[in-house]
Amino acid sequence: MNNAGIAPHPSPLPASGEREPSVSEAGEGSSVRVLRRIRWRTLVTVAYFIVIFTVLLAPLVVVIGGSFSAPPNERVVMSYVEFPPKRLTLEWYARIPHAQLRALGFSFVLGLGVSFAACLLGVPTALGLVRGRFRGKPIASAIVRAPLQIPHVVSGIAFLQLFYAVGDLGGAYVQGTTAGLFIGHVFMATPFVVGSVMAVLQRMNPRLEEAACVLGASPWRTFRRVTLPLIAPGVFTGALYAFIVSFVDVPVALFLASPDATTFPVELFNSMEQDFNPSSLASASLAAGFAIVLVFVAQRVVGLDGLLKPKTQ
Amino acid sequence: MKTRWGMLLIVPLVVSAALLFGSQFVFLKQSFFVDLPFGRKAASWSLANYTRILTDPYYLRTLWLTTYISLAVAAACVGFGFPIAKVLARRPSRWTTFLLCAIVLTSFITTVIQIFGIVIVFRADGPINRALLALGIVDRPFTIIGTPLGVIVGLVYASFGFGVMLMYAIVRTIPVTLDEAAAIHGATPLRTLWRVVLPLCLPGLIVAFLTIFNTSMGAFTSAALLGGGRVITLPVLIQRTMLLDVKYGMAGALAALLLLFVVLMNFVSIAILRRFRSVRLATV
Repeated sequence: MNNAGIAPHPSPLPASGEREPSVSEAGEGSSVRVLRRIRWRTLVTVAYFIVIFTVLLAPLVVVIGGSFSAPPNERVVMSYVEFPPKRLTLEWYARIPHAQLRALGFSFVLGLGVSFAACLLGVPTALGLVRGRFRGKPIASAIVRAPLQIPHVVSGIAFLQLFYAVGDLGGAYVQGTTAGLFIGHVFMATPFVVGSVMAVLQRMNPRLEEAACVLGASPWRTFRRVTLPLIAPGVFTGALYAFIVSFVDVPVALFLASPDATTFPVELFNSMEQDFNPSSLASASLAAGFAIVLVFVAQRVVGLDGLLKPKTQ
Repeated sequence: MKTRWGMLLIVPLVVSAALLFGSQFVFLKQSFFVDLPFGRKAASWSLANYTRILTDPYYLRTLWLTTYISLAVAAACVGFGFPIAKVLARRPSRWTTFLLCAIVLTSFITTVIQIFGIVIVFRADGPINRALLALGIVDRPFTIIGTPLGVIVGLVYASFGFGVMLMYAIVRTIPVTLDEAAAIHGATPLRTLWRVVLPLCLPGLIVAFLTIFNTSMGAFTSAALLGGGRVITLPVLIQRTMLLDVKYGMAGALAALLLLFVVLMNFVSIAILRRFRSVRLATV
């Protein structure tokens, strides 16, 4: 690739494409060629984006579109879902099984609980790991991060067996209950809160807290009025990820759920393995709609950059 | 003042450690007991489960299949995702926010919903097959369901959004001024990418690759639903051994194998990365 000679006065323009090229420096012919090269590159980029995003979003569009499609006959199975729909109907929304709606509500409440508990555990952990000075910090950090490395299926069977063992010892079995699911999900979700809060803390200026102390604020007041507002975006991001980890999880919930306490993804999973019909697409579309609202809110509250800050250093 | 921050850590750390070691200890201990019929287990411990895994080619083939699928998934996510992440991070436009939202959205939706869509898109009379038939690329409908390719596609959908988010954050940490400096000194955009941006991103890309690899090694949903019972990856095998065959000891041993393998892969890669980095720093 030795085409550096195209522009006699190489300009930084091609690298930062958002700027308008100036014609004054380069000669007439070469600037046209530079322009043409920029346009060619843009074209390839746009084409690539269109292909990737079409492929990426296709399943979602098909699910939402399919949920409005009228059944071609009475006994509808997966392979007869029409896309694009020939006739629109809301029938499948009316026919969402009660169990799926209940599971959706259950997943939502479970996610909120997991998110709250993960913050209760994760925020002090992050403060301690960033601010604390003690020996064994790498070990503490490794223990906190370990759940990220454990494959989800392994977490699932590990907690199921832990609950059996604890039940055998103490008589209280939590597998198949909300408590069991909750414990498993908190285990998976806490490292995300720790990571995002640590990322904010490491960028924070400690002088601000010192100033509050010097001005006579009590440690608790300093924390509440200075530290907490400053780390709030990190806490929010972590809480959101914790919620999502719980809300989309299948492998752990599959081991720990029971008919009384089933999360929405597990309910959908079972519907696909057993008796699929387009009403599952309707409830899936409801969950997708909820995710869209969630992304919108997150973008408003912390902005996308807050959401996308590196969380694993 | 300084000791207090450390004190904060005590309670959450005890909880985390209890959950981590408690759960890991129990299933690892179980894995040393051979399963007897009706869910009972042997009275004394032995290595029988492990010797069976290591001598029966079926289990090793499963491990290899899972590894190979996960490597393909991680490579596809990083390969297809990096250009997206790089352009989104470096060339902001009025579409950037929308596209990033779409990326985030795909990782906020459970894989099961994506798999519903994948099944409809790829089925025999779905849009993909109709397009390929119309173009004459294939002469009869093909299916990816029940093939390793199908599982790979499902897993790529599950991890792609997350991978792009990770890589976007990585590209953002590299100052744009470096690109501009390279351009001022006459580097073409491609050369800037190859010699400046990519080398600086490389450690981050390897971390992204490993993260996706880890997730895929433990992912159960795609393999179970798109594998159609014909592509048995290690997570599916573990689930079946546990819930269908009720062999807790064997399931524990398989889970231990998976865990050990993933942790080992990570350690080796990070060790290589460290070495590679120090060599690079030494030569600069």
